[in-house]
Amino acid sequence: MPVTVEVPSLEELEVPQVKVSSAVLKAAAHHYGSQCDKPNKEFMLCRWEEKDPRKCLKEGKEVNKCALEFFRKIKLHCAEPFTQYWTCIDYSSLLELRHCRNQQKVFDDCVLENLGWVRPDLGQLSKVTKVKTDRPLPENPYHSRPKPPPNPPVEGELKPALYGSRLFFWNW
Amino acid sequence: MAAAAGKVRQDMPPPGGYGPIDYKRHMPRRGLSGYSLFAIGIGTMMFGYYKMIKWNRERRRLAIEDLETRIAMTPLLMAEDDRRILRILRQNFEEEAKIMKDVPGWTVAESCFQTERWVTPTPDELYYLYPQSELDNAKFGCQFYT
Repeated sequence: MPVTVEVPSLEELEVPQVKVSSAVLKAAAHHYGSQCDKPNKEFMLCRWEEKDPRKCLKEGKEVNKCALEFFRKIKLHCAEPFTQYWTCIDYSSLLELRHCRNQQKVFDDCVLENLGWVRPDLGQLSKVTKVKTDRPLPENPYHSRPKPPPNPPVEGELKPALYGSRLFFWNW
Repeated sequence: MAAAAGKVRQDMPPPGGYGPIDYKRHMPRRGLSGYSLFAIGIGTMMFGYYKMIKWNRERRRLAIEDLETRIAMTPLLMAEDDRRILRILRQNFEEEAKIMKDVPGWTVAESCFQTERWVTPTPDELYYLYPQSELDNAKFGCQFYT
């Protein structure tokens, strides 16, 4: 019986995408990581536990929703400093953040003033965290076969071999 | 010649001997002493090491900052990538059903593995209905940017 790959329909996969370039993502990354912490961690936990992207579509939608909300808020309140900041990062050849500390300062101040977001400290985002979730732990995410039953107990009397071990051949 | 031979006069140093010969170098002692040169050299090296250590630590902090941007963006990128893969797979299967509808006994969306486990398809599996440029883009992508 051949196994068929189940794929959800295109309507289920239709989610508004975050259509921004890498410089924008990198410029917003720290605030994004602290603001959308919950859905992100939820999604990553789901991916880690389920080992299957088809079962984490709901969490993935949450991630995209949060990201879009985040970028909309920035666009509403701090469009000008943010544009300055990511343009500066875009002009840096390796998208290095250290070349744009002045613009980053302006952006951070604006975000703190209008939205009350604080830039997370160094090491805050790379911490290992516990996530509380309602999703039950999946049973057998690897679809492993059931374990074979243990060997039946040996019947009859077991005696040592008559002529010794067959592995021992150094006797003439 | 013969007259001069009787009256020999030994050539002698002047009374009191010759004066001392000035053979020593008389150069002014200029510049710093050896100890101070050593001190300056060691001081320069210490300063260099100090700056080097400072910059290495700063660079580590910058690397961690970069890493954190990646950590923060990973769920978003991963979610979108998962959906992209599933969408392409779905389109491929629908196309496959259309192409192979006249072949009897053909199962659409057949897995090449005898398992229910999710196996991420390779780019070749995803883009076999697409032009070659799409596959190249998926495989190599931004590799040619320097």
